[in-house]
Amino acid sequence: MAVSALYFVIIMLSFRNIWDIYRRASYSKYNTLSGSELVPSVSLLVPAYNEELTITENVRCLMTLNYPTYEVIVINDGSSDRTLDVLIKEYELTLLPNPEVRGRLETKPVRGVYYNPQYPHLYVIDKENGGKADSLNAGINLSRYPLISSIDADSLLEKDALIRMARMYMENPEETVAIGGDVRIANGCVIENGAVKNVSLPRKMWPMFQSIEYMKAFLGGRIGWSQINGLIIVSGAFGMFRKDYVIAVGGYRGGYPGEDMNIIIKLHRYMLENKIRYRVAFCPEAVCWTQAPDTYNILSNQRKRWGRGNLKNMIENRDMVFNPKYKVMGLLTMPYNVIFEALNPYFRITGLLALLGYVMLDMTNWHVLLVFGLVNFLSGYLLSIGALLLEEIAFRRYTKLSDLVKMLLFSALKFVGYHQLGVLWRVQGHIQYLQNNNSWGTMTRQSWKDKKEAA
Amino acid sequence: MSQSVTLQRGQAVDFYGRLEEEVREHQSGAALLFLYCEGQPGTESCVQQFVDQLPGVETEVLRDESTGVLAVVMPGFTLDAAHYQALLLKQHLQSRLQQADPRITLAAIQEAPSMQTMKQMAETARLSISSDIHIFTEEDTGGAQSRILIVDQDKAVREFLQIRLTMQGYETLEAVDGLEALELIPKWEPDLVLTELNLYGIDGLPFIHHIQQLDMKHPPKIVVLTEKRVEQTISQCFQSGVDDYVTKPFSPVELDARIRRCLH
Repeated sequence: MAVSALYFVIIMLSFRNIWDIYRRASYSKYNTLSGSELVPSVSLLVPAYNEELTITENVRCLMTLNYPTYEVIVINDGSSDRTLDVLIKEYELTLLPNPEVRGRLETKPVRGVYYNPQYPHLYVIDKENGGKADSLNAGINLSRYPLISSIDADSLLEKDALIRMARMYMENPEETVAIGGDVRIANGCVIENGAVKNVSLPRKMWPMFQSIEYMKAFLGGRIGWSQINGLIIVSGAFGMFRKDYVIAVGGYRGGYPGEDMNIIIKLHRYMLENKIRYRVAFCPEAVCWTQAPDTYNILSNQRKRWGRGNLKNMIENRDMVFNPKYKVMGLLTMPYNVIFEALNPYFRITGLLALLGYVMLDMTNWHVLLVFGLVNFLSGYLLSIGALLLEEIAFRRYTKLSDLVKMLLFSALKFVGYHQLGVLWRVQGHIQYLQNNNSWGTMTRQSWKDKKEAA
Repeated sequence: MSQSVTLQRGQAVDFYGRLEEEVREHQSGAALLFLYCEGQPGTESCVQQFVDQLPGVETEVLRDESTGVLAVVMPGFTLDAAHYQALLLKQHLQSRLQQADPRITLAAIQEAPSMQTMKQMAETARLSISSDIHIFTEEDTGGAQSRILIVDQDKAVREFLQIRLTMQGYETLEAVDGLEALELIPKWEPDLVLTELNLYGIDGLPFIHHIQQLDMKHPPKIVVLTEKRVEQTISQCFQSGVDDYVTKPFSPVELDARIRRCLH
């Protein structure tokens, strides 16, 4: 019940904010802004490990963003497939004899930097395998601009996404240290020339559930959390950071998944310990479309990894929990994450066991049980509807009525099976953590082209 | 309706085709005369009569059935000789036919002009407002029939430019993105590409580079019309060889002037 209450508070905060978001989305002149010299320049970092299928489309998308000054740095993390060859061939890159590397972050050895003066904004770093965080650090070392933005190689940005984020940064450039973007599921959409042409919901079941889940998490949750400056994660798929502070906290942490949450916790910690006013913002109108895993195995791998990363981050930063020194972060966000995210499965399981016990001992009657279940379901459903409502008020990316109906249906179906699986995966992730398994797990990619045919 | 349109077009093609053949026969150079006389059915025979008495000229007067424009090829005539004959022809017509007010366009040619140019000459004869003989020069061809390809993803901008440039007498075509434009350019051979840098599918600078790589006899001039005002981008564009750079919001008058300067 307490969980639900908190969720409601958060979604209420989201609602309070949505009108502002709507207004700034519709009245801002992004076109004019996107040509202005006053917009800060950004380095886009794209870590790529075995992404030969999606990387060209991704880079093509990033090269045509609506933004005045930016560079794209693709970091090939020692891929075993042809990721690097594909890029070299597509953009006729040559090895840069004397790359100017400014940063001093520790990374695995860099084999070379590729470049083609015809595409002055594109750099490709080839380095030995060291994980996503390591790649990002290598990218930071090469980057020339004061802002960095990390983007997954399986994601596509909307043309205006970056300028929308920069606009939010420019509102308060002193205090903003990180901005998260809205991540949506691209399965089912038609992709052409590095841009999402036709928005529609995924056809398959797993991506569909995730689509709802993401929408609820991003619109219902993060808008609200950002209001009270309590965001604990900026999605690794699309976020923007101030480079000086990322370097100040020592860059990304390697060797373990969950680097996106880790960097934000580190930023919170650094700013609060040094008593600097700061803000971690969320920009829901900056949209990034990503490929969701569409089979059970890959999805479960991803979720186990998230569970593992989450637990690791919580254990590493346990001193922040309930520590008044860390303000909202210490008193609200961290405890919330520990209790309702990390330990959530155990509560559920014990609750279920207790319930089973009661039933066995005949200590309960079915009326109470039914009412209890119904209240539980309804409150959860209401939250989903809330997120959907936010979407419909401010964004309206899904235009078809049938899609709306489908979303409502799947929001309900989510409570039967999918939620329970989520709990299971999290527990499995924790077990993996205890077994000291810190691999990334397999993620297979589909080419965007196949996707188009499939859709 | 549609049938008659095709018919007219067929006749037009036939007229210019025959004219072209005729011009080609006289390699040494000739004078080409277009004449239009409104509402005078007897003009053709009159002109033929005049042509027949010219020394050393054995050509047939051609008539464009759809517009009523007459064309005469005068082999071996220099421009001044032809001009003199044209004056005589005008007098001849005016003495033969009551209220005849012929409009004449004249040009001396070395090789067969393109069908476009000939059409244009015929048009100038037909639409001329003065009864003076119009000497058709190369400037007339350059100014009026230049082709401009407009590349911009914003529909409003495309429409505005299209209307404005058409009114200026340019022939225009629109493309939404770089890839579409790259397909169109070799086919349509524009004289000038007016492009935004912020395009779908391919970014501005590589797009410009691709245009320059195209294998064409007359590579198009490139004028950039864009939101981007970053100095570095502007200098990069000039380095890669664009002819001019105009930033939005733009002054249409200034844009006209810059386009005109690029084309001449």
